[in-house]
Amino acid sequence: MSWLTGFLKSTVGRKFVMALTGLFLCFFLVVHLSGNLLLYVGGEAYDKYAHALHSNEEFLMLAETLLFAAFALHIVLAFTTTWENKSARKTGYRKTESKRDDRAFPLLLAPDYTMMVTGLVGMLFLIVHISDFKLEFGWGLEDMTPAQKAGLIVSDGTRLIIYMAGAIALGIHVSHGLASACQTIGFNHPKYTAGIQLVSRIFGVVVALGFSSFPVMAQMYPEWFQFVGTVTTGH
Amino acid sequence: MSHSDQNLNLTLRVWRQDGPSDRGRFVDYKVNGISTHMSFLEMLDVLNEQLVAAGEEPVAFDHDCREGICGTCGVMINGQAHGPDNETTTCQLHMRRFKSGQTIVIEPWRANPFPVIKDLAVDRTAFDRIIESGGFVSVNTGQAQDGNCLPIPRQDQESSLDAAACIGCGACVAACKNASAMLFTSAKVSHLAQLPQGDPERSQRVVNMVAQMDEEGFGGCSNTYECEAACPAGVSVEHIARLNREYIKASFCSTAVPATKSK
Repeated sequence: MSWLTGFLKSTVGRKFVMALTGLFLCFFLVVHLSGNLLLYVGGEAYDKYAHALHSNEEFLMLAETLLFAAFALHIVLAFTTTWENKSARKTGYRKTESKRDDRAFPLLLAPDYTMMVTGLVGMLFLIVHISDFKLEFGWGLEDMTPAQKAGLIVSDGTRLIIYMAGAIALGIHVSHGLASACQTIGFNHPKYTAGIQLVSRIFGVVVALGFSSFPVMAQMYPEWFQFVGTVTTGH
Repeated sequence: MSHSDQNLNLTLRVWRQDGPSDRGRFVDYKVNGISTHMSFLEMLDVLNEQLVAAGEEPVAFDHDCREGICGTCGVMINGQAHGPDNETTTCQLHMRRFKSGQTIVIEPWRANPFPVIKDLAVDRTAFDRIIESGGFVSVNTGQAQDGNCLPIPRQDQESSLDAAACIGCGACVAACKNASAMLFTSAKVSHLAQLPQGDPERSQRVVNMVAQMDEEGFGGCSNTYECEAACPAGVSVEHIARLNREYIKASFCSTAVPATKSK
């Protein structure tokens, strides 16, 4: 067995890959949200960003390949390690109770205990999201600017529920995931660990609120979201 | 009679299993007049005397020093490893933590690598095999030297000794939702990696110990930190991060590969 296969077969090595792909996906969420927030600046800013991104085909292809690989690895490893972890205890307990005194949620709702559930909801959301924005499946979005497309999709009633569920699930997921990934790659230090945990929680809230804001705002201010589109139609 | 001198009447819901191949079941027992000054194990002694007097099989449970330093005792008490107190072994848990009339669920450590031998006693030799795979220093380091002869920074000494405080009881595995032995394994890796005596073998050690830990069938770490909260010796998850660093460094920057088994 070569050293690399040995590493990748070990629990610690696989968690390392989980952590690296997770950190990369967190970075992607930051970039993605920053781009989305341009919608609040205005339809033009958003369209300009979308055009700049899509005109650089080499970059886009590389980014999409990396993203797909990261998602695939992260998801496959999640299923295999969860399965193994579950099967490491064939006979369970009659009763379990946490001994941590810093838990804000009961175990059934705690982010670290629900990574599989929040990850699954996030994955289902991702399928709908890619179908909406990448494949533009079933929307009839021809001759529309990126801002108009976005406005139309997030204003849909079913998307309000799906996109909010996805955003909240991912927010909960990364609130544990970011700090957990740092620990897994060995980044634990008396100077930084408390900060990492705080940043991780804030990041979770930002992801949940940031991404949910679009469908929510579209419901609350439908005229504004239409306006985002019409400004650019004028050009 | 002061509050702490009250006697307790309790219902014990105890896991009974005749042997490794028995399916096992919970059995309820009543114990009355339990002094709040008793330790949890002394309360189990009272139960066993009662069972012996009635001609029944006593409940098997592991115990040795009964002063909190050996790591032999340990059961799940109402879903918590070693019961409700932090940094306390089962033998140092006192009955004053319970209320009269309470039902106490008592279960053995649950993990595939810790098969039940009988009732509450489990086989923890998987831990011994992890230690055998690398939790040692191969050379004789001699007598204790003058403290100042070994220039070890104080914070390293302290951190190393904090890790060395592990008593190998298995509460970390029992409390982990994944039945992971990362806290146990990392305690030994971290203890030795921070001292000059352990330094020459640090890469080979971590690679071997992780391989053995995986082979025993323990789960992986998902950083829920229940182990740290359950640990009677207060071993911190900082040591798990150190194990991760050591393992990544050893895998990518050293020639160490897991030793092939001779068994």
